[in-house]
Amino acid sequence: MNHLQLAFRNLKRRPARSVLTAAGVALAVGSFITLYGLSQSVEQNVEQSIEEHGADLTVRRSGTAELFGGTIPASERARIAQIPGVAAVSGELISLVATDRDEHVLASGWAQDSFFWQNVPLEEGRLPNPGERRVALVGVDLARAMQKHAGDSIGLLGEQFQIVGITRFNSIINRNVVNVPLADMQELTFRPDVVTFLSVKLAHPQDPQEVERVVQDIETIGGLSASKSENVLRNDSMIGLLRAVSRSMAWVALLMGVLMVLNTLLMAVLERTREIGILAAIGWSTERITGAIVIEGFILSAIGSAAGVVIGVFGSHLLNAIPAIGHFVAVRPTPGLIVATALAAIALGILGSFYPAWLATRQSPAIALGRA
Amino acid sequence: MTALITFEHVSREFDGGRIVALKDVNLAIEKGQSVAVVGNSGSGKTTLIMLMCAIMPPSTGTIRWNGEPVATPKSWTSLRRSEIGIVFQDFNLFPTLSAIENVEVATFGTGIDNRERKRRAEAALKAVGLSARETHLPHQLSGGERQRVAIARSIVNRPTVILADEPTGNLDSGNGAAIIDLLFDLHQSRGVTLVLVTHDAHLAASCARQVRIKDGRLTEQSSLRRREVIR
Repeated sequence: MNHLQLAFRNLKRRPARSVLTAAGVALAVGSFITLYGLSQSVEQNVEQSIEEHGADLTVRRSGTAELFGGTIPASERARIAQIPGVAAVSGELISLVATDRDEHVLASGWAQDSFFWQNVPLEEGRLPNPGERRVALVGVDLARAMQKHAGDSIGLLGEQFQIVGITRFNSIINRNVVNVPLADMQELTFRPDVVTFLSVKLAHPQDPQEVERVVQDIETIGGLSASKSENVLRNDSMIGLLRAVSRSMAWVALLMGVLMVLNTLLMAVLERTREIGILAAIGWSTERITGAIVIEGFILSAIGSAAGVVIGVFGSHLLNAIPAIGHFVAVRPTPGLIVATALAAIALGILGSFYPAWLATRQSPAIALGRA
Repeated sequence: MTALITFEHVSREFDGGRIVALKDVNLAIEKGQSVAVVGNSGSGKTTLIMLMCAIMPPSTGTIRWNGEPVATPKSWTSLRRSEIGIVFQDFNLFPTLSAIENVEVATFGTGIDNRERKRRAEAALKAVGLSARETHLPHQLSGGERQRVAIARSIVNRPTVILADEPTGNLDSGNGAAIIDLLFDLHQSRGVTLVLVTHDAHLAASCARQVRIKDGRLTEQSSLRRREVIR
């Protein structure tokens, strides 16, 4: 028999309580992975959707709190295009719009000469012809969900659009977006001559000095803020709010799991006062008694964490199956997040077991044995 | 010759001095002796045993082990692990551990590996005649068998002294006599010092030396090798 077997034996004395505690840790870890993964995935998906169009920089109205919150005049496109080092500029007007089924989808208007059209992977159909209006490209996931094909029509804000093609992008956002001509989008949303942001393609995106110079040149124009695509959400207040809420909830869940371990071990220590006294009486040192209780905390946390990883991955799939989430973000917790969460839960569980262990070693063996 | 355990003016108080369990006790126990600590309930017998194995510290006075004061709790822990075997009246076995595991648990921290731990636990159980009951849980054993497991646990680390606190208190007379025989066998065959707390005068008479406690004071010490005489 070794310490690990002894700890297992102790935990098996109250199987229901041990299982429930491990289940509590599992739920905490699972919630943490899912919620933290959600906030991470939102940022990753937005970045991926921008990069997928071939944009190196995103230009938005300076001072706007969120990416889709402001508009800039479409005419700024021409001024930015003249900056040395800029290969192409494309305006994009984005909005959530109601379909004829009264569902909201993300619609994006692209200018006729946008470089975005060059990077569109088609599942079926064709791209819109130059000057063609009231036509739409529908992302493959959305098309499947709505059972639409090239040649069908889709209602957007009460206007009918002919679906000329189905796109097959990689990012979940682009797989659920409807692309229409910019002019149609401006008309539909009563926002003529403006775009939500401008996407810039650089001649030398690998040259950090040139990238920095172009950013400065764009911002010199006034009223505009440029950032690399991977940083576009860094100062976005809505994403910041989502990040703060989901991560706070994730940490609360994890701390609740730790408290469950602490509570269980505290109860176990109080129940086993006499036995702990016997251990001291037969020569167990305080370090060894502490270690034995901490091992129990480790076992509960480790089993809970392992089950929590499964719950977290499964929970992420469940979130993806909810249309309101799954159409905009693919929640995919990274291996780094999963490993870090499991290790953190185990570490916190061990930390949480030190208090009951400390209590156990503080009591006099004589009192524990009922001799004083 | 230096005494194994020496009490010098040892007193033990409880409840802030309201209860005085032991008063100015002076006592020396030689290695290899069998000593009975006799007295009525509440006289301070158990307190004396608890002090001997430093489960509680004295309020005043000095307790020496082989002539040396044992200063730190760590030193006492080490002595309890390697030099002292304790047998309680109510067995104090771990209910979820089998007989052999209850014995093995005393060997943790002695620096021996798992295999040696198991071997020693088997040997200890064999010494108390319980080889056939190794895998039984305490609730599957009789009272006498449980106390044998407790004795096996007390000898597994080959101690110098066994401190037995009313070891037959929860047993019927037949099992009690068998346990006493076992303790004396261990005392005689292994040269283990035996300190036996009892209120049974007949049992006390089996020991070479009797120490009587009354109201926390040592009132009488006799040094007759009664068991040898009886035998």
